[in-house]
Amino acid sequence: MTPLIEPPGVRDHHPHACSGWREEPLSNIQRARLAVEIVAAYVRARRSLRRAPIAAAIAGLRSDGEAPSDRVCADRLTQARRLGRAVTRTLAFMPGDTRCLARSLVLTRLLAQRGIPAKLVIGARADPDFLAHAWVEYEGEPVLAPGDGSFGRLVEL
Amino acid sequence: MTSETAPSSPLLTANVKVPKHVVYRSFPAETVVLNLETGKYHGLNATAGQMLEALEQAACVRDAAIVLSARYEQDQSVIELDLCELCRSLLERGLIEADDAAH
Repeated sequence: MTPLIEPPGVRDHHPHACSGWREEPLSNIQRARLAVEIVAAYVRARRSLRRAPIAAAIAGLRSDGEAPSDRVCADRLTQARRLGRAVTRTLAFMPGDTRCLARSLVLTRLLAQRGIPAKLVIGARADPDFLAHAWVEYEGEPVLAPGDGSFGRLVEL
Repeated sequence: MTSETAPSSPLLTANVKVPKHVVYRSFPAETVVLNLETGKYHGLNATAGQMLEALEQAACVRDAAIVLSARYEQDQSVIELDLCELCRSLLERGLIEADDAAH
């Protein structure tokens, strides 16, 4: 008896690095102010991810932020995007894995500390090659690069 | 698939669930599964993806086999073997949970 279409198969994926993000320099004052905060958030994010599953790590990164506000305005979106660019630019000079998930975790913390409720989105594509990607959205708008449009959303955290 | 699992396997009467820490999405090429606890991604081919969806909707593995057997006009015993093998593979990876009937 032949099996159903083809035998069911399971394989383990090892994602490649995701694509980069066009950088726009912030002012020197803003860069200096944010640099220490971003580096500290990066260290904390890496430590959190080593110790706990991603959902718990994100909860920890958000835990001591300002209470999220329901207020939605263009300024906050602008601020979130500016922070996203700063995170991307700063982490480019950091050692270790500073790809999309690290950037997303760091930005999630920075936004939480400013009371900006954001979602960390994890997506993937299967064709032509498997690739996973993570980014951050505020009110449905990406504030880190969401990829080239080929990624289907797997989960919002 | 191997035929090590007998049709009388306890797995057949088990209820299979995808735990909350596992998310998946079907693409034309395959179904991508992410285990949020381990951070690992897995890929299911089209057959396994359809089986996973059937397993989630059915009360037990055998019921899923009945549905798939009717849908694809395949012998139920063959599908049961494939389902049990798939379940064991997914259980090893923590991608599904089976109730006590499987133990």
